[in-house]
Amino acid sequence: MKVKTLKGRSIVPGHCRGKALVSMKPISFLGGVDSDSGLIVEVDHDLKGKGVKDTILCFPHGHGSTVGSYVIYSLVKRGLGPKAIINQTADPVVVVGAIIAEIPMVDQIDIQQIRTGDDVEVDCSKGIVKVARRKQK
Amino acid sequence: MYLTKEEERIYDGEHGWAYQVSMKILVRLGDLFGATKLIPIKSAHISGVSYKTLGDAPIDFLDTLASAGAKAQVPSTLNPSSFDTDHLAKNFPQEYRAQQLSIIDLYKKMDVRPVFTCTPYYIRKPQVDSHLAWAESSASVYANSVLGSWTNREGGPSALAAALIGKTPNYGVHQPENRRADVLVKFEVSPRNQMEFGALGVHVGKLVKDKIPVFEGLSNYTNDELKQLGAGLASSGMSTMFHYKEPYAEKKVETVSVEAKDIENTIESLSTTREAPDLIFVGCPHCSLSEVRNVAHALKGKKVREDAKLWVCTSRYVKGKAEKYIKIIEEAGGHVLCDTCAVVTWINKLGIDVMMTSSAKTAYYAPTLNKVNVSLASLVQCVNTACG
Repeated sequence: MKVKTLKGRSIVPGHCRGKALVSMKPISFLGGVDSDSGLIVEVDHDLKGKGVKDTILCFPHGHGSTVGSYVIYSLVKRGLGPKAIINQTADPVVVVGAIIAEIPMVDQIDIQQIRTGDDVEVDCSKGIVKVARRKQK
Repeated sequence: MYLTKEEERIYDGEHGWAYQVSMKILVRLGDLFGATKLIPIKSAHISGVSYKTLGDAPIDFLDTLASAGAKAQVPSTLNPSSFDTDHLAKNFPQEYRAQQLSIIDLYKKMDVRPVFTCTPYYIRKPQVDSHLAWAESSASVYANSVLGSWTNREGGPSALAAALIGKTPNYGVHQPENRRADVLVKFEVSPRNQMEFGALGVHVGKLVKDKIPVFEGLSNYTNDELKQLGAGLASSGMSTMFHYKEPYAEKKVETVSVEAKDIENTIESLSTTREAPDLIFVGCPHCSLSEVRNVAHALKGKKVREDAKLWVCTSRYVKGKAEKYIKIIEEAGGHVLCDTCAVVTWINKLGIDVMMTSSAKTAYYAPTLNKVNVSLASLVQCVNTACG
């Protein structure tokens, strides 16, 4: 097992481990993520149909309505939220969502270094992300 | 970011969770965008009201905040809601109405005024050089550019947080050096009416993205036309403001030229149909008193067709001042709606598939947000079509 360490910027402190769910596309939470199911429903999105629940959700940044922050809060309140958020560039919609929902968040991470299914440990207080990938057989 | 002792106490939760989470939002955004401190604001304007646009998303959070006892510290107003209680409400399912009213009640519980408009400046005009925290992009651009007050383009949550704390982080256009123009816009022919001003805004917004344009050589403009210009600019781009008064001191900026055909092409591209409209909609952003008067004058002695609707949307405040014009509009068969507009209500459920509008902003959004076809036309064309 290879472990990579990436260093970014702390946005919301917190520490956790989980499986990465990675997209190279921005996510619009209002209209793009269903707060009743936690599934990504945005048309033409590479994660369409995937659930964000308990993942370490990695994507470049948010886009779309600022009310998307409230969707992030609702997801967490319903037990459907991600464990942590890793962004390339933090934007106000996701930052405010992570603050109000108390989701650990870090940005300025090269998310191309992470793949869906990787075991990720994030120490958002220090902005450190450790990525472990099982060797492919 | 520097915080006073009192702000630190709020941040640490001494005044309860609601103020703490609001303070965290402001401080974190301030840190990210280079603020040095929080500054007091004179008012807040909050988006995130229409149940049609939002669905259930905000209810959980607003409920937690309101139950924790949070109250607005400065005069605060709201963006339009999904219906006018005097019109439309009865056309929608009981569940929609109930959810909309509960969103409104939560804001009321937090001492936010139940004033639903995208033009709060007609009700209480902010002072020159006063700092504000306004969401609703057309209103923030108008406040900065035309009224000379200072506000970033807030989002719904950050404007609400600013309302509850009474302050905002001093980044962006709260700093004089960030209010200078960085693109000079020259044009061949000045726009001729409000609709063309809106189309010019949409065209330039695409070109300048988040930069601040200065429009050189605008002549004979009215504030209503500048409102359309800003609304268009804010729809297709991220500019926080624009300049338009000559002469403009900064010379060394990039220049873009707009030709008459650019405006024509923009109008063409914003129009998705030439079909006869079911709805003719005027009042995005909400009409000023002079705009309501203009509609009334254009309608005098005419009758709206049986097979079409004419909506004029404005704030309840302006409606209250426009009685004699409203009488003319209603006698002609038009409707004056308050607290809402065609974009934030369920026009599909009213059997509307094709809409004609004088607003470039509406033409920009309605095909996606309302799944209708749109044609963009001047006010005179709109009235003539309605009365066809």
